[in-house]
Amino acid sequence: MSGWRIGVDIGGTFTDIVLLGADGTVATRKISSSVDDYARAIMEGIASLVAEHAIDGAEIAEITHGTTVASNALLERKGARTGLIGTQGFRDILEIRNLRMPRLYDLAWEKPPPLVERYLRQVVDERIDARGNVQTALDADEARAVVDRLLAEGVEAIAVCLINAFNNPVHERALEAIVREKAPDCTVCISYDVLPEIKEYERTSTTVINTYISPIVRTYLERLRQAILERCPDAHLLIMQSNGGLTSADEAARRPVNIVESGPAGGVVGALAMAGDIGQDDLVTFDMGGTTAKAALIEGGVISRSAEFQVGGGILTGSRLLTGAGYLVRMPAIDLAEVGAGGGSLIAIDAGGSMQVGPESAGAEPGPVCYDMGGTAPTITDANVALGYLNPDYLVGGALPIDAAKAIAALRTQIAEPLGVSVEEAAYGAHRIVASNMIRAIRAVSTERGRDPRGYTLVAFGGNGPVFGAAMAQALDIRRVVVPQAPGLFSSFGLLTADVEHHLSRTFRELLRGIDKAALNERWNALAEDARQRLAADGYGGEAGQIERHASLHYQGQTYELTVPVPDGPLDDAALAALEEAFHAEHELTYGHRAGPEEPVELVTLRVLGRGRRPTAPPPKIGHGAGGAQAPATRRAYFGPEHGWCEAAVIGRADLAERREGPLIVEEYDATCVVPPGVSAALNDAGCIVLDVG
Amino acid sequence: MEAVVERGGAEGAASTAAGANDAGGADPFGFELFRNAIFAIADEMALTVCRTTYSGVLRDNMDFSTALTDGDGRLIAQGLTLPGHLGSVPTAIQSVLRHYGDDMHPGDIFVMNDPFDGGMHLPDIFIFKPIFDGDERLAFAATVCHHADVGGRVAGSNASDSTEIYAEGVRIPPLRLYDAGKRNETLFAILEKNVRLPVKLFGDLRAQLAACHIAERQFLDLVRQHGAEATRFYLREIIDYAERLTRAALRELPDGEASFEDWIDDDGIDRGKPIRLFVTFRKEGDSLHADWAGSSPQVKGAINGTLSWTKAATYTAVRSVLPPGIPDNEGVFRAITVTAPPGTITNAVLPAACAARGLTGFRMVDCAFGALAMLLPDKVFAASDGGNTGITIGGYDAERKPFIYVDFTCGTWGARPWADGLEGNSNILANMASQSVEVIETEQPLQILSYEFVPDRAGAGRYRGGTPYRRDYRFLEAEGLLQVRADRHTFRPYGLYGGSPGQPSRNVLNPGPDEQPLPSKLTETIRRGDVFRHELAGAGGWGDPLERDPQAVLRDLRNELIGDATARNDYGVIVDRAAWQVDHAATEARRAELRAKRAWTEPPAVSRGEMPETGSGAPESGA
Repeated sequence: MSGWRIGVDIGGTFTDIVLLGADGTVATRKISSSVDDYARAIMEGIASLVAEHAIDGAEIAEITHGTTVASNALLERKGARTGLIGTQGFRDILEIRNLRMPRLYDLAWEKPPPLVERYLRQVVDERIDARGNVQTALDADEARAVVDRLLAEGVEAIAVCLINAFNNPVHERALEAIVREKAPDCTVCISYDVLPEIKEYERTSTTVINTYISPIVRTYLERLRQAILERCPDAHLLIMQSNGGLTSADEAARRPVNIVESGPAGGVVGALAMAGDIGQDDLVTFDMGGTTAKAALIEGGVISRSAEFQVGGGILTGSRLLTGAGYLVRMPAIDLAEVGAGGGSLIAIDAGGSMQVGPESAGAEPGPVCYDMGGTAPTITDANVALGYLNPDYLVGGALPIDAAKAIAALRTQIAEPLGVSVEEAAYGAHRIVASNMIRAIRAVSTERGRDPRGYTLVAFGGNGPVFGAAMAQALDIRRVVVPQAPGLFSSFGLLTADVEHHLSRTFRELLRGIDKAALNERWNALAEDARQRLAADGYGGEAGQIERHASLHYQGQTYELTVPVPDGPLDDAALAALEEAFHAEHELTYGHRAGPEEPVELVTLRVLGRGRRPTAPPPKIGHGAGGAQAPATRRAYFGPEHGWCEAAVIGRADLAERREGPLIVEEYDATCVVPPGVSAALNDAGCIVLDVG
Repeated sequence: MEAVVERGGAEGAASTAAGANDAGGADPFGFELFRNAIFAIADEMALTVCRTTYSGVLRDNMDFSTALTDGDGRLIAQGLTLPGHLGSVPTAIQSVLRHYGDDMHPGDIFVMNDPFDGGMHLPDIFIFKPIFDGDERLAFAATVCHHADVGGRVAGSNASDSTEIYAEGVRIPPLRLYDAGKRNETLFAILEKNVRLPVKLFGDLRAQLAACHIAERQFLDLVRQHGAEATRFYLREIIDYAERLTRAALRELPDGEASFEDWIDDDGIDRGKPIRLFVTFRKEGDSLHADWAGSSPQVKGAINGTLSWTKAATYTAVRSVLPPGIPDNEGVFRAITVTAPPGTITNAVLPAACAARGLTGFRMVDCAFGALAMLLPDKVFAASDGGNTGITIGGYDAERKPFIYVDFTCGTWGARPWADGLEGNSNILANMASQSVEVIETEQPLQILSYEFVPDRAGAGRYRGGTPYRRDYRFLEAEGLLQVRADRHTFRPYGLYGGSPGQPSRNVLNPGPDEQPLPSKLTETIRRGDVFRHELAGAGGWGDPLERDPQAVLRDLRNELIGDATARNDYGVIVDRAAWQVDHAATEARRAELRAKRAWTEPPAVSRGEMPETGSGAPESGA
């Protein structure tokens, strides 16, 4: 059988590989990541999977890959030795940032060190004015001297970001040419090519990140492609981007800043691909693992994206107002909210006598108390064992023995007794508190953007997502929860379903009324043409590629923009009036009010999304053993003061062919799905568990 | 299973969770859930204001706050935005309650900005929406935003040279902006005619109203989930909880009393006349008292603060030495009390001008940190840049269309007992963001010529102060009015425990050979082509500079944050520039030489550099 697809999702600890045949045949593998050379573990994993299923390498059509190589290079500060050239008077844009700190009242706060130290930041005496006119011409001799100085310092890469260059790249281009001429092997990136948008700090930071990670990403992708070529000569390598679309390895190497948040995108895209099976395209995705939980929103079949994000800022602890903790990337990315809540989250009592859960985590080591690997502080996993939600003897199909007694003892002495409650009350309290922390992530992507999650379907995955899915839905008044097949590997499956996407943007800052229509249409067409070329390069030329347009606008004077779709075709007065109305409507939806008709609306950014639609993946056929074989048929589980201890049937996914009423516990190899009393569960045609929360 | 956020009432009934009892059997975990929810509301209000606002002051400087109080106006939760507003809401709301008491109804929305009736300064407009469950007032949603202009004699309404409040803009006593849902057209009409940019003002008021509406909806959702009785209980408990945490943290600190003195350059009217700030902290057991008696009488210039402002400044310093995680609410205020004599710059009375009182707040923070440094030497940083400098450039273009550019800028931290001071980072009282140079140039008749660090200005120390930056503004319109409110021009940011003071701030017109030095506070007409330069003050250092790691000095030298002379004379470090290496032998010798020459053997607790005559006869600082 030909036409096999492979999805490879690299995490810090594990690499997940899924193999999907054209007929839906599925094989999966979870292996330790080879941190020194990620490509090695990937190829070993693919080789063993392929051998096991007697597949010829030439039958592999495609390998889609979500990778943390770019974000790791940033987080571990292992990128290239990078120089930065700026405009005279503005040497410290990168380091001054926007002044804001992520924490109040914290004297110990440290800014993340700039990716380019000051002595590697050089300036040239040039100036472009706000309208894009050259005010002070670049002096070629000075420019050469500055480049020489950086090369003498041994830089491997040079970023160029000049004031107002988003409007006119002439000086940036000249500097780029000088670097190419003097040092053909030195990576050089100019801000106009990376992000032709207004705001010098955002553009500088994004350009520097692109430059800084470029050599490491390029080397990695080349090595991987070489290895794939040897084994799977016909396989096309596609890389997941932060925006949820795939791109070719070439394009990813050219603009690595687009793959910084490649890792968590797969699950969200996978959820979108299931919208058809679920029969709904308004979805909240909820991905809970060992240390963090992530939420994203899909509205009307469109993934909600944010215009920028921070890398390495630690996780969201509540408010998204306080920024500045990490490295700023201004590139469209799936709008993911993340909280420090997972199976390993520690349960503790604070000085005020209130229970706290997380964000501290027991991590992989020492891990929860019940793993008996040295952990002594109770975690959410321990609470789930004490509540009877998780198997009291083993997890991962028997690979991980569980010591329930230890978990219960830790909860009793450290939490229940000090609070004067029973163990199950304490465990249940922890369960609710961690759920309420995770609700903040969901609110961050829904209500905080004017979207009411009621009426949405919650898609729960990750190792711990299905344990909490029903409880989260109840708290949010969501009626339906979908738990996909192999929820622990869902992100890798998602990679197989994504489209190829290119997101391009340009600043075009003018009031809508009286806008220069010819210039606007021309600018927009140029952007669309650029997107078409990139699609063609990825194999989606001509009709295979689609162009979608969006515009970011605000009321004159606001800084935050809202983005609305723009129909095809040249923009005439009627289309502009429709665009203005679409903005008013979006403002009203998001913030609950709109300004009067007399208030000027300003266009800020033109956006183009080029999409190459890929053939749909067949639904995976995963074998689901009945649960009863090893496990007892029922287990006592505690469902709060209202229901108390219940006998819950312990079943496998296949046992849900008929709808069954909770309490149920669905045990699978990589996850456990909890169905509380009052909630029913059944399989849909695609093999997903659908919980009816009622 | 019951929902994750479940009813807090009857059936939850377990025993107590450290105080969360006695609520008719409230659920012991309901409290934590409620607390999570209530803080999420305050934060979401803040996000709403931030995203929908029009003015740069709000969006970039985060010069706004959001809060929820209980039905009696006690602060429950504050949105995480501006430390400087902590404590402002209770004062303001008490004034509304004084005026209206129980004469409040669903659909009412109150507005006010009068500093002498609960407000802070006129640009800060408060909006309060009482939230009713049936007939019962359970809470208030509150927002306060700094508006770009509220009228008065100069654009931006923040001149530091006004001498009475009557010149500063529209003074709004507590009034109904909406009466049972009906818009107060009279008030709107008066506001419209008395401010320069009514569209901006109303746009920002809308943002405030939107935040209050969102808060009301979500709060009532909470009431539905928990019931009114449990809600009242949890609101009380959140305050008690914060008080317990605050007192527990205070108990960990040593008891003692310390005073500290610092000086504001002048008020911009009585040029060259220093203004004294003086605070005494008394820490005993689980409470702390700050008394600002000894501070200067209120001044003519517009830098007079209200007591609520003094409280916010005090809380900011104290909260910074307490552990994180304490909710910002009434419970904190119970354990940390603040007094200031009426008629002083720390508690001004009518008719004091107070538009530019921000300056005094920043300087009170410096002063309060100084006192804390005497009590807790290893926990507190040296003086920062003195807070943000306010720069306003306003006028009319050729078509008589007004423009107003308001920028607040700050960015150095004093050295800490364990690390260098931050640079390019907001002052701890402000947490503001800078405005984009490119956006300024697009929106304003200005070109920014420089925004970068200035070397050799930070205070030396084992850990050095933060390096200041400069900003150069070139004016492109025919004529405009430049107003600047800066400080630390005469009185430098102090160093601690052997650290040197930072270099003073600078204002310059048309930098270059013919540059004209300007005072720290000014209001001046500028013309096309004029360049105004502001340099922040360098922050103070901490500890003996001769004990600074020579490698750190080398790095600063290589990064051109200091020059050879500073390395050699302040730090005694000799560097081989060809190899970029420290010459250790020469450094040892140079340090020995400097040590022998200097005036002290024991590092002085506070170093301020040379000071002008202050004329008060007050004792020099110290514990």
